Amino acid sequence: MSVVSAFLIPGSPLPYVQRDNPPWGAMAEAMEKAGRALAASQPDVIAIYSTQWIAVLDQLWQVRPNPSGLHVDENWHEYGELPFNMRTDTELAAAAIAATDSYGIRSKGVDYDSFPVDTGTIVASNFLDPEHKFKSVVTANNLYHDWAITENLGRVVREQAEQLGRKVAIVGVGGLSGSFFRQVIDIATDHIANVTEDDWNKRILAMMEQGDLAALAKACPDYAMQARVEMGFKHFAFILGGVGGNFVDATVHHYGPLYGTGGAVVEFRLA
Amino acid sequence: MSKGEIIAGFLAPHPPHLVFGENPAQNEPRSQGGWEQLRWAYERARANLDAMKPDVLLVHSPHWITQQGHHFLGVERLSGKSVDPIFPNIFRYKFELDVDVELAEACCDAAAEMGLTSKMMRNPNFRVDYGTITTLHMIRPQWDIPIVGISANNSPYFLSTEEGLEEMDTLGKATRKAIEATGRRAVLLASNTLCHYHFSKEPIPPEDMSQEHPENFAGYLWDMRMIELLRAGKIQEVFQLLPQFIDEAFAEVKSGAFTWMFAAMNYPELAGELHGYGTVIGTGNAVMEWNLIKAGLAQAA
Repeated sequence: MSVVSAFLIPGSPLPYVQRDNPPWGAMAEAMEKAGRALAASQPDVIAIYSTQWIAVLDQLWQVRPNPSGLHVDENWHEYGELPFNMRTDTELAAAAIAATDSYGIRSKGVDYDSFPVDTGTIVASNFLDPEHKFKSVVTANNLYHDWAITENLGRVVREQAEQLGRKVAIVGVGGLSGSFFRQVIDIATDHIANVTEDDWNKRILAMMEQGDLAALAKACPDYAMQARVEMGFKHFAFILGGVGGNFVDATVHHYGPLYGTGGAVVEFRLA
Repeated sequence: MSKGEIIAGFLAPHPPHLVFGENPAQNEPRSQGGWEQLRWAYERARANLDAMKPDVLLVHSPHWITQQGHHFLGVERLSGKSVDPIFPNIFRYKFELDVDVELAEACCDAAAEMGLTSKMMRNPNFRVDYGTITTLHMIRPQWDIPIVGISANNSPYFLSTEEGLEEMDTLGKATRKAIEATGRRAVLLASNTLCHYHFSKEPIPPEDMSQEHPENFAGYLWDMRMIELLRAGKIQEVFQLLPQFIDEAFAEVKSGAFTWMFAAMNYPELAGELHGYGTVIGTGNAVMEWNLIKAGLAQAA
């Protein structure tokens, strides 16, 4: 089995840069818990799809062997820097790039010094693999790719990992409901900004916990629209593609607010 | 201190391809040229800017996106390498720029006084976005005039277009107030493309101009209609049409810079000077100038 674990996590930097704020600290602890579960699954490589790595031409894949540096978030710059130090599975990335053609997706590798690795990818890497034990394959969110294409990206990773004999952890990085506080708030009182969206998040998470794939398939389009889910919830599509469209159930390690938006750390139990 | 004023505004789009085509020393990738119509347009704009002798250039960029308020660069000197996350193959630019922090703070304060959420960006490790850099490089490649960099709050996308642009209008008025209070002679740069429909595949090489043309005919017609109105100084009509233009041409002016600039200039019914128009991966780009000195609305240096 090429896929050994799968996770949905938020890409907000707030739990990483300000974990002493209780609402965000609980998220940080859940991320670390997910990191321990990921390590226990003993992957060779972590496959990351982050909504915050935006592409518009082609499907981009990180192929630089050791992306590293210091990133400052565009919006949350006052909380300091996000250091990153990753190791790319260049062989798997190259295989994925070559394989996307057969799905009608044109892909391109990215190998540049100082390339701005996005906040979500860094947060995922730092929380899930704090000791940088695992290699990674990271791909972008092309704004013009829909749910089905994104699902195929996950599928490509799984198939190529299988071909190369890699064990892979699939990670979709992105938020749940998207309404955020536009004004400065007392961060200690952070909460989901919209009650309807809060209800939607809880329903979707319950479906994941129950492994109710049919209900999820039916609900996701409406959820994405009505709860203003980040990037149409395509990060979940990547996960579904990665796990072959199937999981038994899921554990929600935490669900909570990130400046009004919803975020959850979810671990999927694979079939 | 004499009262400051806005001496000109430029529509100054930011496709990184223009820097790539120019091959400046700061940009790593090399090209065989390309997009000359737009680059020559910028050359004409540069000459006019030079004659104005501004104290400061203010740029509003759609590629510094912020959710919590309108942010202003607030570090006196910023430097580093800015790699375009969308076009890393053509834009890897070593930048060094000086910020007019006093004016930036005044803008930030004035915005807050007028009811906007606003914030100073004080982190010295901040990577300045390629929109800000491209516009500034193309209009003033010497980098010898201090700048104020302003983020694009995503309100036009999170709220309705109209509500979002209303915020940009307020931001423009706050900017004018701050410029007047600090005694600066300022030039405004609206870093926006017009029609934003673009190709989904990049030619090889990217500067192959035999592949360059408008991606969308309806969008092109919209661009021409808006440029004709701007050249005729029918600014009120432009802003009446703006939401429809944004919807039908997927125009990047939605992100706010264009509205910010005109609000700051008090929407003068003044004919704009078109320096040039061209497409970049199919999008429509115009370099245009509203010279308030020539119009008698501002003082010469």
